[in-house]
Order: sequence, then structure tokens, then C-alpha cells
Amino acid sequence: MASAAIPHPKRRPPPFRTVGRSVLLTLPIALWALLMFTPTLRSPGLNHHIGAAAAVLFMTLLFFLMMRTGKTYRWRRYFFVTLGFLFPVGFIASLIHLRGSMSISLEHMLGGDTPFCHMVIPMILIPAALTRTVIFPGSILPTATNPHSVAVMIGLWLALTLVLGKAWCSYACFFGGIEEGFAALPKHIRIRKIDPRLRLVPWALLIAVAVLSAALFEPVYCMWLCPFKAVTEFPAVTGVKTAIQMGIFVALFVGLVVVLPFLTKKRTQCGFFCPFGAFQSLFNKINLFEIRFDRTKCADCTLCQTACPTMALSAESIREGKTLLNCMKCGACVDSCKKHAAVWHLKGTPVAVKPERARLLFLYGAWALATMLGGSIIANSLATILGFLPIR
Amino acid sequence: MLGLATGPVCIASCGPVVLPWMLVQPRGVRVHARQMTLFLGARLAGYLLFASLIWMAGAAIARTWGEQSWMVGAVQLLLACGLLIYAAGWPHAHCAVARSEPPGLVQIGAAPAEPPQTRPTGAVALGFLTGINLCPPFLVAGVRVAQLPSLANALAFFALFFLGTAVWFMPLLSLSVVRRTPSFLTVARMAAVLLACWYGFSGASLLIEKAIYG
Repeated sequence: MASAAIPHPKRRPPPFRTVGRSVLLTLPIALWALLMFTPTLRSPGLNHHIGAAAAVLFMTLLFFLMMRTGKTYRWRRYFFVTLGFLFPVGFIASLIHLRGSMSISLEHMLGGDTPFCHMVIPMILIPAALTRTVIFPGSILPTATNPHSVAVMIGLWLALTLVLGKAWCSYACFFGGIEEGFAALPKHIRIRKIDPRLRLVPWALLIAVAVLSAALFEPVYCMWLCPFKAVTEFPAVTGVKTAIQMGIFVALFVGLVVVLPFLTKKRTQCGFFCPFGAFQSLFNKINLFEIRFDRTKCADCTLCQTACPTMALSAESIREGKTLLNCMKCGACVDSCKKHAAVWHLKGTPVAVKPERARLLFLYGAWALATMLGGSIIANSLATILGFLPIR
Repeated sequence: MLGLATGPVCIASCGPVVLPWMLVQPRGVRVHARQMTLFLGARLAGYLLFASLIWMAGAAIARTWGEQSWMVGAVQLLLACGLLIYAAGWPHAHCAVARSEPPGLVQIGAAPAEPPQTRPTGAVALGFLTGINLCPPFLVAGVRVAQLPSLANALAFFALFFLGTAVWFMPLLSLSVVRRTPSFLTVARMAAVLLACWYGFSGASLLIEKAIYG
């Protein structure tokens, strides 16, 4: 009887792969990361060397852990949150170095010194098609003072989108990590009931900002609605209009990026606001990778629905064995499914047959691009932080 | 030629009103063609009224932006109201869509399905308001009209200007073939509310600015 009262020590589940196999599978990513950061490692400056070395180790280690444990979301989240919190550090430091301030004046805007961000892409399409004009006060080609030109950012976005589809929002976007970080903080969900119609707001916002940008010949989202202006760059407050703009930026940032993710454990800005995310969803249609559900294994436990950070799953979609169009391929549903019913899938192949192969193919592309874009941002931001420290 | 050349800017200016309004219409080319005809007809009426006013008042009406901001602000507030009414009237539109969808089972001998009913007032109101809403091509045409020798010339000029710009609205008819689902209609309704908010904010700002600074 006494032995029955003593709880059995919990057996840890066996690792998904052996260390050797995991190392072998990680080697291509390690080599890619080294290749990406070789120019930085060769350039002078100890801070940059340390930043680059840390980024190589960080990205390689996370990929190794993905291979070793078979979990995707957990390890991706470390990368994504780090990227989200380090991006503003490096960005603000470069702005202060160039202009001495986070605010941008009209003179700098007219001079084409505004860095181009991927959020603007849906807004420039209609005016570009109708009038052959790029309605953004930036430079088309990179300049000495502004390497983030329109052409560079559109090229990067197109390349990554063709490979990743909407997974851009989980592996490449340098904004989403902030709210994912705040969503990860609480242990329990405080607001559970969320109206599913909120999923449609980004589409409405996409239509509204696209047509208004064409009507006003200015990127409306950047001028009025971008929550991340609060932690990156904003128009200099010179009057009532700019004060209202700044107020909106701060209110949206606090509400959608800090408070609501904390209360709901969801990426509320990405899931219920971001018009670029809606635009990016369209590319899920032509992308090769997706998440599917093996209906023979699914227990309808709704664990995946709870885990999904953007409500990209509904009872109907799970019954059909699919996600909704706004799936960001973060892997949260796959990781949370105890029956292994949620699986990675390569379009054109049978569902739930060799899902790990589909996951590997996806992750190689996604992680290589995450290393290239996010890894370099992490490296630069770390170097910036080290530059502020009084250590030589 | 002025209408054809400035048409892209015209469609961009009217897009925030036309697009959500088109999206909440039931599916079907005939329905959309009828609504578009009403919209453009009302827009033409707005154009001709404005042409008459400009010709009678001369270039004075277009002399300073300050003199026009009252009217622009008021028109934008009315457009906001129009869009909000459309957004609020969504349940009716949804019923019309439901009626236009083919039923799952057809009973032999049953009466044919009622065609979707759409009210013309919205199209006329929005068309007229966009017709008198000032946009850059409209002002260019207005300046030209003020210099014409007779009212008939002014009206003819604006009618032809209208025809040139109206050509650019035709591609929007392609939206008629997109399938209307409840989610689609909810998105259109939300977009109408968002755009109404912008028009309301912009119109109110203009009026407040005018009231404070004169």
C-alpha cells in the first residue's frame, strides 16, 4: 500500500532524434549561418565579431533543438521574441546615429531618407498600377544614408514570400516578436472568449488602407495606424495633426502589442489588425507548405485551437482537415497536438504520410531565410548594445 | 482627353467610396451593372451641377482652398454617413445575397426564386456626393470650365470629362463575379465603417480647422 502512495517518477519522453542525427541535420544551417556572417566576422570591430558569433551560435543551436526534440514552435519562439525585442534597439540606434532623433522631419522625408518597411507593399500597388508612382518618401535604390530602399525590401519580401507564404509573419517579420513575447509572459489566459469575426478585421483594414492610400497618395497605414511607429520611427510632432498621429501609434502599440497579447496569449496585432498579414495570407494559396489534420487521429480536443496564436483554426476547418487562410505556419498546433493529428504537409503529397519530411523541407527554407534576415538584425543589435556597454 | 488622362486619379479618389459599396452588393453582373449605371448617372448629375455653379460664379469659387474647405468637409461628412448607412444596412444586403444563391433542393412546380432586390437610393446618393466631392482632376476641369464662354459649353465640357473618367470605373464590374459569402460581406461592411471613420475624421477636421482659423 505504501508503495502505491509514492508517485512514480515521471518518465521523460525519449528525444525525437539522436544527437548524432540532429547534428547532421543541423550542419547545413550551421554552414549557412557561417556563410552569412563571414563578411561581418572579417570586418574590424570586436563588437560586431561578438554579435555575429552569437547570432551564428544562437540560430544553429535553436535549429539543433528543433531537430532533437521534434518541436518547432517552442524554439522558433525564442528566435522570434529575441528578434522582436532587439530590432528596435538596433533600428533606434542607427536612427540616432544618422539623425540624432527617432522622429523624422519633413526635410528628411522629402530627401528620401525614410527606411522602407514591408508593411507598405500592399499600399503602393494600386497607385503604382494606376499612376506609375511609388507613394513612399524613400529611395528606390539603396543610398549611403538609406540602405533599406524600396527595391531591396521588395526583393527580399518577394523571395521570402515565394518560399514561405504567410510563414513570413512567423519567421521573417521583425515586429511580431514583441507581442509574441508579451503573449508568452502569463501562465494563464485571462480573456478566453474572442469574437471570431475579429479575424476579418485585417482584411477590411487592407481594403481600407489600400484604397485610401491610392486616394490620398500617401501610405495611410504608416501615417496613421502603425503601432510599431511607437518603437521605431515617427513623424516629428510639430502640431495637432502629428500629435494625434503619435497618440494613435502609442495607443495601438500599448493596446494591441502589450496589453491584449498579455491578456489573451494571442498575437492580437498580427491576428486581428495587421493589413499586411491579410495580404500575405493570399500567398498561402500558392505556397507549397501547409498544416493539415489527420482526421483518423484527431480527438477534437481543441488543444490546437487554444494554442494557435492568431485563431487560424476553427471547428469547421479542423473537421475539413485544414487551417484557415491566415495560418502563419508557426507550428503551435502541431506541437500542442498529443495525438499527432496536426501535421506538416507538402501540397500534392498524401496527408500524414512522412510529415517529418515536409517539416524538414519547410524548416530548411524558413530557417535559412530567418538566419539571413533575422539573424543579421540580431547580430547588429547585439553589436549596438555592446557598443553602449562601458567594457573595452 | 482630360477625363481619360486623369481617370486613374479619379478612380483612386472615388475608390474609398465605390469599392466597399460594390463589395456589399449581391453577386451578379446585371445587379452590378444596374447599380453602377445609377451611381454614374448620379455622379454625372453632380458634375453638371458643379459645372453650372462654377460657370456662374466664375473662377472665384475655385480661387482659394479656404473657400472650398466648408463644402469639402460637409461632403466628406455626408459620405461618411452614406457609408455607415450601407454598413448598417448589411442585413438587408445579406438577405438579398441569400435569395440570389441557388437553393440546395429544387421543388418541381415551385415558384421561381425571387430576384435580388437592391435599393437605388444608396447608389444615387453616393454617386451624387462623389460627383460634387473635390478631387485634383475635378479642380483642373473646374478651372477650365470657368473660362468657357457659355453655360452650354461648360456643361458639354463636364459631360465629356465625365465620360472620359467613367471608362476607368468599368473594370470594377469584375467584382460582380466574386462569390459573396457571409465572411466576405462582413469584411466589406467593416471596410465601409473604417472608410466612413476616415471620411468623418477628415470632414470634421476640415470644418473645425475652418471654424478656428477662418
